[in-house]
Amino acid sequence: MTIASLILLVFQIQGGFIDINVPATPIVYIKSALLNMLFATMGFVIFELFSRLGRYRRTRRSERDWRLLLLCIAITYIAISPYHHHFNTDAPPFAQSLIILLGLGALGSIIFIILNSIRLAWIIRLSFRRKMISIGLGVILICLTTSALLLVFRPDVTQAFITDSSYPIDYLQFYSLPLFSTFVLMMTYGFLYSVTSVLSLIFHLPTMGDYRRSADEMAAIQGLSVLVREVADSKKLYHWIVSTPVDAGPGKVAWLTMNDFKSGSLHPRIVASYKIEVSVAKESCDIVTIHQEATSSQQLISIDNTATDYRTKNSKSQKIMSLLAIPLVTTTEAIGTLFVAQEIPQAFENDDIESIGLFTSQASLVLENARLLDAKIEQERLASELSIAREVQQRLLPQEIPTLPNLTIAASSTPALEVGGDYYDWLDLGNGKMAFIIADVSGKGTSAAFYMAEMQGIFQGLTRIAPQPDAFMYHANQALGASLEKNVFVTAIYGILDYHSGHISFARAGHTPAIIIDVNGNAKLLRSSGLGFGLDRSKLFIDTLDVVHIRFSPGDLIVLYTDGAIEGRNSQGEEFGYDRLIDSIQSARFENAKGVHDAICQAIDRFMNPEKNYDDCTLLIVKWRGNVTQIPT
Amino acid sequence: MSNFSVAFRDSGMTTILTIRGELDAHTAPELESAIKMCRNEGKTHLIVNGHELEYISSAGLGVFMAFIEEIRSLNGDIKICELKPKIFDVFDLLGFPKIYHIVETEEEAISLFEQGIQPI
Repeated sequence: MTIASLILLVFQIQGGFIDINVPATPIVYIKSALLNMLFATMGFVIFELFSRLGRYRRTRRSERDWRLLLLCIAITYIAISPYHHHFNTDAPPFAQSLIILLGLGALGSIIFIILNSIRLAWIIRLSFRRKMISIGLGVILICLTTSALLLVFRPDVTQAFITDSSYPIDYLQFYSLPLFSTFVLMMTYGFLYSVTSVLSLIFHLPTMGDYRRSADEMAAIQGLSVLVREVADSKKLYHWIVSTPVDAGPGKVAWLTMNDFKSGSLHPRIVASYKIEVSVAKESCDIVTIHQEATSSQQLISIDNTATDYRTKNSKSQKIMSLLAIPLVTTTEAIGTLFVAQEIPQAFENDDIESIGLFTSQASLVLENARLLDAKIEQERLASELSIAREVQQRLLPQEIPTLPNLTIAASSTPALEVGGDYYDWLDLGNGKMAFIIADVSGKGTSAAFYMAEMQGIFQGLTRIAPQPDAFMYHANQALGASLEKNVFVTAIYGILDYHSGHISFARAGHTPAIIIDVNGNAKLLRSSGLGFGLDRSKLFIDTLDVVHIRFSPGDLIVLYTDGAIEGRNSQGEEFGYDRLIDSIQSARFENAKGVHDAICQAIDRFMNPEKNYDDCTLLIVKWRGNVTQIPT
Repeated sequence: MSNFSVAFRDSGMTTILTIRGELDAHTAPELESAIKMCRNEGKTHLIVNGHELEYISSAGLGVFMAFIEEIRSLNGDIKICELKPKIFDVFDLLGFPKIYHIVETEEEAISLFEQGIQPI
């Protein structure tokens, strides 16, 4: 812009001087040139300065207005140019068209000068001190532009400053008429803009407090996001949420209600209050209705006068006359409501409501983040608890396989979840006999795991006192019956194996039948009568329980399993089933117990859809090698 | 996901609950609330018709155990009928037939109620 003005100056000198009532002496030339330089520079500097201010926070419209102003000034400049050389003489060529063009240019310039003079967005953001400075500068500019314009429009006033008989306006016109017109328009713009700025600055001084408050609110919001990084303590967050609209906003008191999921009721709970007692807040309005209305509609509720609103009519508090209820909405749902109240009616203006709304939406995000963090921590805590539980449960199972004469044993238990309800165990009774058990608690997960632990206690304790299958089963049913929930049952197979003779006696309590396969591959499902534990707490249990006695032949093997071993499904939804289980045992029947166990596991793994482990799966296999020292009878 | 349903039908003094689909841990609460509803309405002569029951898990079996004592103490009973062989096998393995009337047809179950015969 400054460069442009210099070019214009140089260009205009070449234009030559017009003949007016100034004598064309060298001193006049110098005076005239200097005066023009001075004025033109001042005009361009002011113009440049105001063009920046006027286009602060520019919009498409402001840019358009600004360009049109420049265009109108240019039109005026061009239209007036021919007159420079015909100043005191005849009319220039095309005089009529030029006059119209000049008129349009001048009128347009005036219109766009006015339009550009009311763009004062830069004022709002200034601090108080800067506003005061700006007012001072504005006044100086008004003086400068006024005096410049006085030179033009009231030559008589300014004549005294120039010693010879001519007016400064003459010098300007004499130098260049188009430049003069541009200068006049620029000065007019400068003057108008200075005046509107100073007036606006003065009018904005009293609203400083409001602006400062909204700045405080912004700071509060920012503080909140800092807070969430530092604390995950929801109490602190709640306190911050209720105190901010009061300390940094328009509220007098505030409280926060949250959906109370823990209690299972739909009634909200006041989780924090500020400058008001919780009990007073409760009495002040129908909190439940307002909370539910705000959260279900996810819309802000503003009550201008609590005395007349049906939701607050019964209020006993004199402190609360205006009330805002703003729902805290997370990405998925409304989780609570922030109540902000004032002691005078109609206390909240639109921008208050807007700023509280903005604050609340920020606070909701912060709260949600804190909740997610909490949930994550809780999840991790549970996961670590569960992994401890899993370890403990694994320790309830036998840690090593006993080496006994004549037989091999293999066993494993894989819970569907971290912990499960399957159990297997054995105990050497010391007289050449070994007790063994496999049990399955209905259901899975934690509750099943507790009953499994109980089953372990019963087996380890009872086997030493009542090792016989019928006695063991009876007492186990009594013991479990007392503690099992009504809809929970436990199934089991318990037996005693004489590992010298290969004699085995056992009973089945509702459990999946044991499979016995001989060396020729003949399979037998041992499905003796017996109720599951917990089904019946009376004599019926023992009355219906059968004890089975068999004697192993060399190469016989017995497979005990829980229903997870047969109920696993493949991707077509078919069950593994008894037949496949028996097949897998038959094909591995010459292996030892471990070999049979691994063959079953492989068959199940091959068959099953690996993503869907439906149930706990447990296997216990005993293979009778035969007593080589035994004398056949 | 849930392909389980319970339909009610009254036949004289008895109420017939026809259950369909898979009765497992997820769907058991449906049958539970159905039985609860009958009990609250004073209907204690219940027949569960399982001819369209495709699968039952231990949680499903637990539903029958949860209510039987209470229903019997109100002079009622839960009788089960028309189970598919595979489903009956699950009941049988656990010993249910020793405690519950599990019969072939609905008529049989109704006549057991009419004769006032209790399983134990």
